[in-house]
Order: sequence, then structure tokens, then C-alpha cells
Amino acid sequence: MEAPVTLEGFPQHLTLRDGTKVVVRSVEATDSNALLQFYRSLGEADREFLTDDVTKPEWVQRFVRLVQLHEIVSLVAEHEGKVIGEATLYRTPHGWTAHVGELRVSTAPAFRRKGLGTVLAHELVRVATGLGLEKLIVQMVENQAAARRTFARLGFKEEAVLRGHVKDIHGIKRNLVIASNDVSHIWDAMEAMVADFSPTSG
Amino acid sequence: MDKTEIRVGGLGGQGVILCGMIIGKAASIYDGKHATLIQAFGPEARGSACSAQVTVAEEAIGYPYVTHPDVLIVMSPDAYTQFAPTLKPGGTLLYENELITPDDKLPQGTKALGIPATRFAEELGRRLVLNIVMTGFFAGVTELVSFEAVEKAVRDSVPRGTEDLNMRALRSGYDYGREVLAKGN
Repeated sequence: MEAPVTLEGFPQHLTLRDGTKVVVRSVEATDSNALLQFYRSLGEADREFLTDDVTKPEWVQRFVRLVQLHEIVSLVAEHEGKVIGEATLYRTPHGWTAHVGELRVSTAPAFRRKGLGTVLAHELVRVATGLGLEKLIVQMVENQAAARRTFARLGFKEEAVLRGHVKDIHGIKRNLVIASNDVSHIWDAMEAMVADFSPTSG
Repeated sequence: MDKTEIRVGGLGGQGVILCGMIIGKAASIYDGKHATLIQAFGPEARGSACSAQVTVAEEAIGYPYVTHPDVLIVMSPDAYTQFAPTLKPGGTLLYENELITPDDKLPQGTKALGIPATRFAEELGRRLVLNIVMTGFFAGVTELVSFEAVEKAVRDSVPRGTEDLNMRALRSGYDYGREVLAKGN
């Protein structure tokens, strides 16, 4: 039996700090064009932080296919029917990092500083713990101050800095920060609950 | 008096007691019936035999101990060996079918239904939700507690942050139970 990834509690109707209403839901097969439009609307400076060329239709098709195959889990935020943000959880189903998930979040410039990134990241953390992951990581370039604040608020701690690891669009080398959030304590509580042991009962 | 006696057996670390507690909670708090729970632990937290005795009834329960259960849920071979002979004739055995193979110890007329609960739990992402898969299987097969009640009982019982995975575990066991029941009828 393949374990289906059905996301509990979506779609969600949320209100951002400035009162903007958004709907957060899981990515569907029909979202290719909307995602492509969203990514093409980002400036070059924003896209430099992304690891894929998200403006290509081939990328979007592959991305949506991976969602359908449950290899990645992706959420979109919509405002008035238009995609304004996207958050994806990448994980390896087998091997020594099967307990680790990586989060990537992108938001439209017009909706920044309103809590959209926090909303998406928060929901994705919830999804990730619900999938049984124990450690979550996020990669950020050192000058992504807003992203670093957002993830710090969600309990991520900067764990490693890879010096001169990435180059920006001007060819300047920048440090890559890897922040992590150890969410295994959530599962420790579950483990204690199923221990079937009481120190006062024999 | 309409009363059903249930025994859950397994090893420490499989969530035997939580399984019994959720069934009792679903029946009493959310389905409006009466329920009692008796739990027995071994001396170690992990690996020792443990069991839960749950009684569910429409009326108040005067005696909570279960000696001959109507339904036996077993998650380990040892629990099967120990408790299978105590099952009431015509009772229901729910077992983890990749760990246990039923034999001739079963009383006459036993309805034995298996589920690969450990595999389901592992595929969902966490082996430790095995007991929740079994709980869903119990609800799906016996219909003794409603799905809505057991869903609320699970949500109410498991640690914060683990609800989604536990809900999926419950659903997978329940759906499998409904399937098994449909095939059997």
C-alpha cells in the first residue's frame, strides 16, 4: 500500500496582518500555469535565490508531477484566485536523511511584510511534523534578512554557514546559511505515550 | 445488558494501553456509552508483555475485569499465544498479520481478521502509530464505536503536532477494516 499524502486541514482561509484574505491549499495538477505565472512575476533578484529555473514550463510540469507522486509536498497561497506564494517540502523517502525535510518558500513582492511567508512556512512545518519528519532545514543566503527572521520565529536555529557558497546575479560570492529546527521532541512525546509503562503500576 | 468485552495485548512500546484508552474514550465520551479500562504493565518500559482490558456497555458496568473477551486485539505473537485461548467462542480476533499467524488455539467459531498494521504505520512515516492503525481497524471491523467518535478520541489523546499522522493512521486502519468486512460478507 502506498501511503497517500492527504493534507489535513486544507484549504485554509487566513487573514494577513494588513487584513488581506488568502487561501492556502495544496498544489493540484491544474496549477501548472498559475505557478508559472507566479514565478515569472518574481524579479530576477528574487529568482536568484531559487535552485531551479522556475520560469520554464518543463520545470513546472516536473514539479507538479513530483507533487502528484507524493515525492514533494507543496502549498500555494491564493488571493482573489491568483497564486501569491508557494511553499514546498522536499524529503528523501529512504536512506539516512529520511527523517529530514527541507522547506522552500517564495512569496510575491506585493504581499511581503504582511506575514504571508510566515503563514506558509508555519503551515508547511505543521505538514512536515504530520508526516513524521524529525528535523527540518532551510537554506538562505546571508542577506535574506526577512527570511532569516521568519524562520527564527518558527524555531529554526542557524546551524551552518557555507562561506562563499553562492553567487548573486552580480557575481558576488555570498555565504549560505543553513538553519534547522529539531521537531523530534514532538515524536518523543508520542513515543513516551506508547511506552506502555507506568512507574507506579506493576 | 448489551456489553462487549475487549482485550488488547502486545508488547511495551506498541501503544497497547493507548489503543485501549482510545477505544474506551471514544465509546464513553463521544458515543455516550459506558466504558472501563484496566491496564497491566510489565516491569520494563519496552518489550515486556502488556495488556488492556476494555469493557463497553450501554449501561453502567459493575465489573471491569475481562476474562473471556468478545474481541481480542493482538499486536505480538506472545500476546496471541497468551490470550487467544481466552477468546469467547464465536468472538473476533483482530491481529497484526505480519507478526502473528493464527493456529488451532482459537476457540470454535472465531472470526479472525488480520491487518499488516506495522507496515501501514511504517509507510505512513512512523512505526509508532501501529496502535492507531489497529484502533482504526477495530472501529472499521466491529462498528462498536463510530468513526467520528474514535477520530475525536485520537485527536484528543495524542501529543500536539502528531495529530495529522495519527489521523492518517486511523483512517488507513479503518478503511482496511471496512474493506476486509466487505470482502468477508
